Amino acid sequence: MPEVIFKNLPFLLAGLRLTAEIALLSIAGGTALGLVIGVLRYLRVPLVAQVLEAYIVFVRGTPLLVVLFICYFGLPALLAYKTSAYWAAVLGFVLFIAAYLAEDIRTGLRTVRPGVIQAGLATGMTRFQVLRYITVPIALRNVIPALFNQYVRLFKFTSVASVIGVNEFTGSAMLVNGREFAPITIIGFVALTYLVACLAISSVGRLLYARLAVKT
Amino acid sequence: MQYTFDWAPIWTNRELILDGLLDTIALSSLGLTLALVIGTLVGTAGSAKARLLRAAAGTYVEGMRNIPLLVHMYFWYAGLAFLRLPPFACAVAALALYSGAYVAEIVRSGIGAVPGGQWHAALAVGLTPRQAFLFVIYPQALRIILPSLAGIFSQLVKDSSLASVITVAELTYQATAIEGQTFRTFEIYITISLLYLALVSVITYGLLLLPGARDAAAQGLSDA
Repeated sequence: MPEVIFKNLPFLLAGLRLTAEIALLSIAGGTALGLVIGVLRYLRVPLVAQVLEAYIVFVRGTPLLVVLFICYFGLPALLAYKTSAYWAAVLGFVLFIAAYLAEDIRTGLRTVRPGVIQAGLATGMTRFQVLRYITVPIALRNVIPALFNQYVRLFKFTSVASVIGVNEFTGSAMLVNGREFAPITIIGFVALTYLVACLAISSVGRLLYARLAVKT
Repeated sequence: MQYTFDWAPIWTNRELILDGLLDTIALSSLGLTLALVIGTLVGTAGSAKARLLRAAAGTYVEGMRNIPLLVHMYFWYAGLAFLRLPPFACAVAALALYSGAYVAEIVRSGIGAVPGGQWHAALAVGLTPRQAFLFVIYPQALRIILPSLAGIFSQLVKDSSLASVITVAELTYQATAIEGQTFRTFEIYITISLLYLALVSVITYGLLLLPGARDAAAQGLSDA
């Protein structure tokens, strides 16, 4: 390992830890919000479904960087409430990725075979029970590849938090670079780390899918 | 809520916004063209029979798309600072190499979706392999992949906003500048969001207007 990296390793690892933390929080929050939005859109709840569709179209048409700017600079001005860059970033990631996850989850819900749902109703389950115990679990298991695609995307996108001043991995690496000026080594190290992490996330997704996919 | 909306400063700065929008369009279209070239080459290599070609294409795709675009941008801008490339060129290179990997995967799947008989038939009527690709395989693959390409293209337009970080004066950069002068935070970012949304919509619906694209989109739906 090059000298520059070794010397600054504790600092870089602290950045990497922050990246992992932000990614995990955003994945958890985004999946929960995405599930709620996906189910509400799937059920076509009047008015709510239209509002959510507008939200999804808006977020999917907006760059992540702009979403982060809105969350960090815009929302505090609007609500007269100050947040740290860290929480603004997490909020931005959750709102951003939920719009994508919701669509994936809705696709999953729509492709659950009607026969399975009818079988559930025929055994006397209520509509909510069918949704809770049959449709949602099957849909979630079958969209694991799509979900993990988004998780990898989100993991890469956490680097953008450095722009609003969160010193996660990319941010701390660029700080180190400002002090040491060894850009190729440092950026190379950063790139390689992201590469390994993303490949790891993808393979977790493949493993989970292989184990959990429902064949109907 | 004590925030009072004031859209006047947005209108006063319309020329800056328009400047940024044009820069975003130039940046995206250059990045897009190069990404298409890279994607077609790598995607074709990825669908080749030769194992070495396939491995090389796979390495390119995994290596490029698993690194954040921001890191790509820093690599060209800060890593290769000694080359003194203009920021705009850095952003184009980063966007093209990054998105090229996504395009390559789509092209590969498109080529794979063209029935194998088409290839053999093309060779049987005396076309050279190059002609078979140009006149038989690519046109059919293109129709199949248009909806996915539209998705990648709109992502590229949105991703181009990261060029603002390496000081390219595109839409997001101008928005930050205007925000700094006027403090109309919410108004300016909503405005550029809507402009990005408009660009993305033009690309998505524009590509689907191409002949044959609708059939492919409909087919994609029935497959899903």
